Amino acid sequence: MLKALTLEFFKLRRSWIFTMITLFIGVEFLWASLSVSIVLSRHPDSNGWETLLVTVASMNSLFLPILAAIVSSRICDMEHKGDTWKLVLPTSLKLNQIYAAKYGCSCILMLYAALLQTLAITCYGITKGLPPPVPFAWFPTFIIGTMVTSMAILAVQQWVSLSLKNQAFALSLGMVGGFLGLTGDLFPSAVNRIFIWSYYTKLSPVTFHFTDNSAHYIKQTLSLSTLTAVICVTIIFYLVGNLHLSRQEM
Amino acid sequence: MLKRSIAAEGLKLRHSRIWLILFVLPSLSILIGCANYYLNQGVLHQEWYSLWTQVSLFYGEFFLPILIAICCSYLCRLEHQNHNWNSLMAAPISPAHVFLAKLAVLGILLFFVQIFFLLLYYGAGKLLQLSSPFPLETLGWIFKGWLACITIASIQLGLSLRIRSFATPIGICLCAVFMGLGMYLLKLGMFFPYSLLTIGMGILQQKCIMGSENLLFIIMNLLFTILFSFISIYRLKNTDITA
Repeated sequence: MLKALTLEFFKLRRSWIFTMITLFIGVEFLWASLSVSIVLSRHPDSNGWETLLVTVASMNSLFLPILAAIVSSRICDMEHKGDTWKLVLPTSLKLNQIYAAKYGCSCILMLYAALLQTLAITCYGITKGLPPPVPFAWFPTFIIGTMVTSMAILAVQQWVSLSLKNQAFALSLGMVGGFLGLTGDLFPSAVNRIFIWSYYTKLSPVTFHFTDNSAHYIKQTLSLSTLTAVICVTIIFYLVGNLHLSRQEM
Repeated sequence: MLKRSIAAEGLKLRHSRIWLILFVLPSLSILIGCANYYLNQGVLHQEWYSLWTQVSLFYGEFFLPILIAICCSYLCRLEHQNHNWNSLMAAPISPAHVFLAKLAVLGILLFFVQIFFLLLYYGAGKLLQLSSPFPLETLGWIFKGWLACITIASIQLGLSLRIRSFATPIGICLCAVFMGLGMYLLKLGMFFPYSLLTIGMGILQQKCIMGSENLLFIIMNLLFTILFSFISIYRLKNTDITA
């Protein structure tokens, strides 16, 4: 299994995927830091770390579903493009192992993105002189929340990217997901609960509510029920995707 | 030859179901925009103009540029498969015609998308029972938006011709769109191709650009389109294609 995972990274060795993720996260963070700077200059009394984490989590709702779609599409499309399924399937590896290796590979790439964001948050906060101490205790929650949501999205994206040769549909789904993630909080709570793309803010260590035309930040711990629900959705999409692919002629 | 190249590109798109994406994404923007307008009628008083702010925001800032990137990647997808670049470059067609035919097909597709969006906007306004007359500026916004689409398409097509991956040019487009928004806010939008869509479609400022600004907008679009088309054609002519 580990060999299959290593092979996925070996196939990606000249694809510049880490550079692309770094640039993508760079643009996202640039945008987030500009937004935070504007908020802090208008409201100097607001807590900088809370503002920073909430802004990055909100931006994640837009950017990370699209990044997940791109990562998943790149990992799956190389098999379609090179018509390599015929070469991969007769090897000793089973299809479900290849499916798991591809999923594992995309999860590791998204973990890289989450870690990069955490590093950027820390560096920005320290260089901007946000009031100490650095809230290191929030970072594990931030990374877990981001990763759990990304894993659910990746399960859907991998299913679509592997089942449909035309990657335009997978990327459109990513785009619609990003859009729903961004606007998810505007929908009634009963509706936005079904949008897996909007869980970046729900599983963030800090969230905000608008009351009396101003934003109030609320610290939150990871809700076990929400976490379980997202993990269950991930498992369902993963299994359905795996089953669907195993019944398809490659 | 160019006419036949365009016909060949059209043939490649037959049975492709790309139209599904072309029609679904504008419809989604209209649906969300209309819902937002309907729920906030208390603060949105300018009828057609207010509706335009709601429907064009997500469409022009988010869906349309990525839709262009998806279309460009899709138009080059066939060439990147099965060593088709070898067949195409060995055919008696000049690289300029290959590029221009793809750009022309993109122009036609995006024209239909813009018209479809306009019809949806009109239909939505009528459904929402807007009493004021339909603003004629909208036609200008749609046309200028289309011009900006061609500019973005010329860049994205160059990227998609060069990069084998379907997804990478789309990621680049998204990053560029956000940089474009920043350039627009810094009042440098006219000099960054990805900001031209925001200016042309009057997304953030519902005023129709006039006179010298209008001329500058058209000149910048032409300049960017010619420049990026020239670079792509030059590369096609002088660089080895990796099939």
